[in-house]
Order: sequence, then C-alpha cells, then structure tokens
Amino acid sequence: MRRLLSLMQKEALVLFGSPIAYGVLFMVALVTAVTFFEHLRLYNQILFVFASSTMGGFESDTIPTHVNLIDTVFNPVMEQLGVLLIIPLPLVTMRVFAEERERGTDELLLTSGLSSAQVIAAKYFVTYAFVVLMMTVSFIYPVTAIEQGGLGMKHLASVFVGLSLLAIGIASMGLVCSAFASSQVVAAASTVAVCFIVYDLGWTHGFVSEPTAIFLDALSLRLRFGHMAEGFVFASDLVYFAAIACVSAALTRLSFELRRALG
Amino acid sequence: MPGARVEARALSRRFAERTALGALDLTIEPGEAFGLLGANGAGKTTFIRLVTGFLAPSSGSLTVDGVSPADHPRDVQQRLGFVSEVSHLYPDLGVERYLRFAAGIRGLSGERQRQAVANAVETFHLETVRKRRIGNLSKGFAQRVSLAQALIHDPALVIADEPTSGLDPLQRRDVQTALAAEAGNRTLLLCTHDLDEARSLTTRCAVLSEGELVVSGPTEEVLAGETNLALFRGTAPPHEAEVPA
Repeated sequence: MRRLLSLMQKEALVLFGSPIAYGVLFMVALVTAVTFFEHLRLYNQILFVFASSTMGGFESDTIPTHVNLIDTVFNPVMEQLGVLLIIPLPLVTMRVFAEERERGTDELLLTSGLSSAQVIAAKYFVTYAFVVLMMTVSFIYPVTAIEQGGLGMKHLASVFVGLSLLAIGIASMGLVCSAFASSQVVAAASTVAVCFIVYDLGWTHGFVSEPTAIFLDALSLRLRFGHMAEGFVFASDLVYFAAIACVSAALTRLSFELRRALG
Repeated sequence: MPGARVEARALSRRFAERTALGALDLTIEPGEAFGLLGANGAGKTTFIRLVTGFLAPSSGSLTVDGVSPADHPRDVQQRLGFVSEVSHLYPDLGVERYLRFAAGIRGLSGERQRQAVANAVETFHLETVRKRRIGNLSKGFAQRVSLAQALIHDPALVIADEPTSGLDPLQRRDVQTALAAEAGNRTLLLCTHDLDEARSLTTRCAVLSEGELVVSGPTEEVLAGETNLALFRGTAPPHEAEVPA
C-alpha cells in the first residue's frame, strides 16, 4: 500500500507540475461558463418575447411548459458538455503512459518492485480523481443557477454522476490509447477518434441490421449519459461504465505484457 | 560476501527474426564488480533487461540468487537497483521529492525513508541541489540522482547501463568514483563500451558481440592484448581469458 501511495503522490505531482492540467481545467470551466450563459441569454430572450404585451404577458399562462430553465438551459448545456469533454480529456490522458515510455521512466517503474497492476491502479486512480475535480469545477455555474430553477438535488446529483462517469469513460479510452501509442500526439489523436466514434453509434444504423443497431446503441456513451442527465441512475449504466474502466485496465495491462514479450 | 549471484544458462532472447542474445552462459558471483562489454547492439542492454525482469527470455534460464526474474520479477526487483544510460528521471520533480518517491516505491516509509533519503543526499553530494527541479540539473548531477535512487534501498545487486554515457570527463569521474565506492558492498553489473571505465571499475568482465559471448574472465586479462577492438567485433581469437564452450 505504501508503494501504491508513493506512486499516486508522484502521479499527482507530475500532473499538477505540468501546465496542461491547469490549461484543461481552465478551458473546461470557461467553455461551460460560456455555453451556459449563452443558453441563459437565449432563455431570457424567449421569456422576453412571451412576456411582451402582444403575447399576453407573464400572467396570462401563455408561456409553454417546455420553456423552462431545465429544458432550455440545463439539459442542452449538459449535452454539449458531454461532447466537448472529448477534446480536452485526451490532453490529460495522452501523457500518462506514453510520456513515461518516451522518457524511459517506465523501465524504472517496472523494475522497482511495483507490479504492473499497481502501476496501472495508481495511474488510473489519479486520472479519475482529476476528471472528477474537472467536473466539479465545470459544474459550479449550472448548479448555482439551476438550483434556483427547482431542478432538485437528486436530479443534480444524478447529472453530476453521469457527467463524471462519462468523463471517466472517455479518460479510460484515453489511457488505453496512451498505453499502446508510440507518442503522446498519437495517443491524443487516437483517443479523440475512438471517443467520437463510440460517443454515439447511431450513425451505424444505415449499415447494420436492426438487432446489431440495438446492440451498438447500447454501447454508446451518449445513451448511458443521457439517462443520468434526465435524472435516472440505472444499475445497467453503472455496470456499463465500470466495464469500460475494467476493460481499459485489462487492455493497459496487456500492453505491458506485450512489451515484455515482444520488446 | 554481500551481494547477489547472477547465473545465466543458455539464455537467449529473440525479437522477431533477430537474435539479440544467443545461448549465453554467464555467472556473476556475489560482491563481484562485473563488466559487460560490447559495441552498441551487442546485446548488453537486452541482458540487463532480462536480469531486471523488464523482458522475458525466449529460452534458457536466468536466476538472481536462485530466483527467476521471468517468473518472480518483484522478488528479484526488490533486490536490485538500476541506473540507466540516459538519466531516466522526472524533470518536474525536485531532487529530494524524487528520492522520497524512489524510496517509497521500494517500500521504505517513515523514519527509514527519511534516513535513506538523507544518506543518499550525503553519499552522492546532492546537498546543494536537494531542492532544485531535476530538469534544471546538469547531466552529471542528474546521473548522481539516478545513482542515488538505485542505491536508496541498499540493494544486493546494482545494474548500471552505460552510466557515464554523454557526461564530460569531470562528471564521468564523479560517477565512477561513486560506483567504485560501492565495490565489495554489493554485486555490480556494469554495462559499458568504455574500456578504461571497465578496467577501473570491474574485476571480471565478458565481451558480447552480436548477442554471442566472445570471451569472459578477469578484466585485466581480457583487456590486456591489442585486439580489444577486434574482440568488440567478435573477430579476434580470445587470449588467456576463458573461452566460452
């Protein structure tokens, strides 16, 4: 356990010793804020139109029920944030394994008495912790305003868990790409490509049979995140994200074993 | 005699069609300072990676104190320290922070860790740079930090893969002095293509060429003749030293 903690401390120090971590945190917070306030501005404009005298004003029940903070601001912002995560997260995950290999420090780690499982666990844990921190930072604006709009704490918690798990899913794919890639740039580019493909597999419907389409839909990140964005946390969705993390860790371990066997 | 015994029997390692190491028989006795010589690509680094458990052998056997690094890598790795050709360090970490990390992943904690770091800083004269970022150190200091991390847990076997490569003469002397000070305290396996370094630091050596053992024996005897360069090419007949079967 002491060894694992030492490695996790080092991972956190290296992560926060690089400007990329701060850049990504700032970028995600900024994009969330800009997206949120843009939707809020649109919402206010819609309200203004309905509130004008020609439409009967606020007090005459002319505002449709779908024009509310949740449907007009919160849900679209969360949907867009889900897609936007695919851009900054690979910048964090690309270095985790690929940089160690480029510097040759992986040889030190893997000959220091640490098992490959310990190395993988430490790196995954610190990356996941960073992802949750990133989601917390990006969640502040929407939560502050939407809490006033009556979304409810349970729904907010569900959306936060959904966003965090979505980010963890994307980060897991990024870590696998980093473990197999020959350089950090290749790791980042391949992560973006893989995540865009897996985010919504609806585009495959035109090429596959209906049962296959249903199966591919079930593999889409968007569908799983969508349930939680709507306030529903299903066990199947939790299992889905847990499976992504486990399969990623197994593939990362496979990359270690392949390197040991093939050189 | 303190130190670990390394024994290779018919050890070979292939990468696809290329044989990096072919049927190597070699024994390094406990406490010995052993040099592994050869030109670039001779198979020195492959042998080291097999000893550290970083690579698995294609065939043959290798043991460190009777334990196979291929089957029990962690047991072997806990008994060895590794210094590599380039300073494989984390440039964003401070020297002391890095040494604490190196001690931590070797299982040292609390007072033992503090004491090990303090000893390493003192032994390798790192007092003046202990708070500096590793990325801001000269190559010589960086290599001393690398040596310090390799010895921080007092290993029975120290493996140094061309530790003075790329250093200026003064930095090279510092690193060689530090390695020489460890002679007798533990087994030293030094990989180098610097003949003077091998003469000054090792008592016995082996020469590899294209993955094959050309000759092994006392360093003074192996490197006594005028055919050293031919030995590196694997073309010279070995002289008094032991000829592999």
